Amino acid sequence: MDIRDKLNILGDAAKYDVSCSSSGSKRNSPKGGMGCGHSSGICHTWSADGRCISLLKVLFSNACKYDCAYCVNRRSNDIPRATFTPKELINLTLEFYRRNYIEGLFLSSAVIGTPDYTMELLIKVAKELRLIHHFGGYIHLKAIPGASSKLLFEAGLYADRSSVNIEIPSDRQLQYLAPEKNFASIYRPMNFLAERKLEYKADKSKYSPKFLPAGQSTQMIVGASGETDFQILTLSAGFYKQQQMKRVYFSGYVPINADKRLPVITTKPPLLREHRLYQADWLMRFYKFEYNEILDEKNPFLDPELDPKVMWALRHPECFPVDLQTADYEMILRVPGIGVRSAQLIVSGRRFSKIRLQHLKKMGVVLKRAKYFIYDCEVPRELHKLYPEMLRPLLIAGKSMNDQLDLFDTMPTALPAPAPQPKVAPLSVNS
Amino acid sequence: MSLAIHYDSTFDGFLSAVFEIYRQHLDVSGFVAERSYETECEAATDLFAQPFHIETSEESARRLRRAIVNAASKDVLGLLETCFRSEDTNIEMNILAYLRKLFAGLDPNYGRNPSSLEMIPLITIARSVRREMDNMLGMVRFNKAPDGMYIAEIEPKYDILEMIIGHFRGRYPNGTWAIIDVKRGFGVYYENYRSHFVTVPDSSYLSAHAPPDEFTRMWKSYYDTMAIKERINPRLLRRCLPVRYWKHLPERSLPDSSLARIGAVPSQQLPSTVAKSIAFASLRLNVQR
Repeated sequence: MDIRDKLNILGDAAKYDVSCSSSGSKRNSPKGGMGCGHSSGICHTWSADGRCISLLKVLFSNACKYDCAYCVNRRSNDIPRATFTPKELINLTLEFYRRNYIEGLFLSSAVIGTPDYTMELLIKVAKELRLIHHFGGYIHLKAIPGASSKLLFEAGLYADRSSVNIEIPSDRQLQYLAPEKNFASIYRPMNFLAERKLEYKADKSKYSPKFLPAGQSTQMIVGASGETDFQILTLSAGFYKQQQMKRVYFSGYVPINADKRLPVITTKPPLLREHRLYQADWLMRFYKFEYNEILDEKNPFLDPELDPKVMWALRHPECFPVDLQTADYEMILRVPGIGVRSAQLIVSGRRFSKIRLQHLKKMGVVLKRAKYFIYDCEVPRELHKLYPEMLRPLLIAGKSMNDQLDLFDTMPTALPAPAPQPKVAPLSVNS
Repeated sequence: MSLAIHYDSTFDGFLSAVFEIYRQHLDVSGFVAERSYETECEAATDLFAQPFHIETSEESARRLRRAIVNAASKDVLGLLETCFRSEDTNIEMNILAYLRKLFAGLDPNYGRNPSSLEMIPLITIARSVRREMDNMLGMVRFNKAPDGMYIAEIEPKYDILEMIIGHFRGRYPNGTWAIIDVKRGFGVYYENYRSHFVTVPDSSYLSAHAPPDEFTRMWKSYYDTMAIKERINPRLLRRCLPVRYWKHLPERSLPDSSLARIGAVPSQQLPSTVAKSIAFASLRLNVQR
């Protein structure tokens, strides 16, 4: 088997891992070597499904000894198996890096032999890249669940980021779908790495080596087992707080295996749900929302029709309208249609002049949504007297009006169409 | 009669023009940048304005820079320079409008106000220039020439080559490489820890010198396997990776990996020694500064 076939098989096996970011680590090129870390990360290309490719994301091997129901590489699947040698993989990484195809290496592996043996192989690749080839690019190493702490620590010395995927958001479902795994075996490496990183931070000097400068991330599958969005957000909020995760990724379940424990193989991946979860994640990370503000026990699912920020605004009419001249930055961030950049611009600009609608338009604020929630002398008063129930259809209609209208479709109207004269309804050309 | 100011398309040239506009109290209706890659008819000409050429003077550019830093700040000067790189047809007039307000002195805080009506459009333009610069850090694709030099061709919308050099110097400090802006006919050539600007009127011999190799094809087939077919989303792809960049990305422009496999070796490869001497000689000849 030549290296090209191996790359295709092992790249194909790794593609369901969502994480491909190269951010959070700033490195200068080592002496006599090449490569640097760019702190905001660099996307090098986007694949046909619109996901960013910034790292060479491959498995070291896909000959797994486990049999997890959701995984493409499980023992009982009949697929071609391949294993790199460290030298092949290192050469490939360096050649791709020289041509500026990638930002670095994302190395994961199926468990071959024991977890310790697998982890040792991954570390060997990272170590040779860093010490022999003086490679300064980004390295993301998977922590294999069940590997010893000594090896995990060593991985942290060479990698920029490490990750353990939790995959299924509840312990019972995880044990049901992946009989060899449980929450404890996944949390243990996470906690270990988080604690070591904290220790390193505490007595950091200019000369101490770096330990996981870009922190940890994890990923969970959405839609494979019956969790609610509220459970998922609670879990990810816990990861951000306790394990100091840099990112929690969501992956809409793509049916790969026919298994009676999973949704049927013809189900479509829940892309909209995944998108809404990412929006909620953004609210927690950049908009200073708490997870229990976005959802609660009574409303455990995100609204497919409206984004979570609008939903929060509709549930809290007492906070609006907001006066942009005087409101806190945190409150301006919560206005639907205003993003982080516009909010910063408003706060720094209002010291010098009043912020009017014409300013907002030029800043790129989405007035279509924001106009219902801000106080401005040019905004008609009537808009602020609307109840949330009346506002909701207006916000949804405003969204779909953007699309090209279909000739044979009935017009989406906010108000019910007048019943007695159906023939003069707009766009009923065919009747 | 109002004037159309002709200048040499550099930022210093533009600043000298503004300096002269103030000194001679000129009535300006527009600017025409004399770019080498634009023909006369491409550059927007105003029928009703009289052309008026202004020579670049380093001294007046320096004085105006100092005046901007004093009236506003260093950041504003940097922002104006970034905006200027957009080469937008209206950008000179937008900057001039901002400078007029700034130097009018009616509002002492004007230079610090980021939300004035003249400043917001400049901020958005600068943002899109920086975005393209950030994108380009990832979208430069080097091809390896037989002599070990790496050659990349780019065709950015804005003039951002100078902004990305520092990144690549830090990334490949020991290598020999060249990045060529095909649209503007110039490039940067890096060798022995030093970079030089070169003019490259026609880069076709350079790309023939460094054709796609085995690693390029491996990259292409790797790229194809990474897409999950249940999630294919062409609109999202085009939004993230606009079509105008595809030409210089092997993963989008090479034929399908299954086809490339059959014709494994490209045919129009120059004999390497000849090509090497041509490429190096021409790059060295064109070194400007």
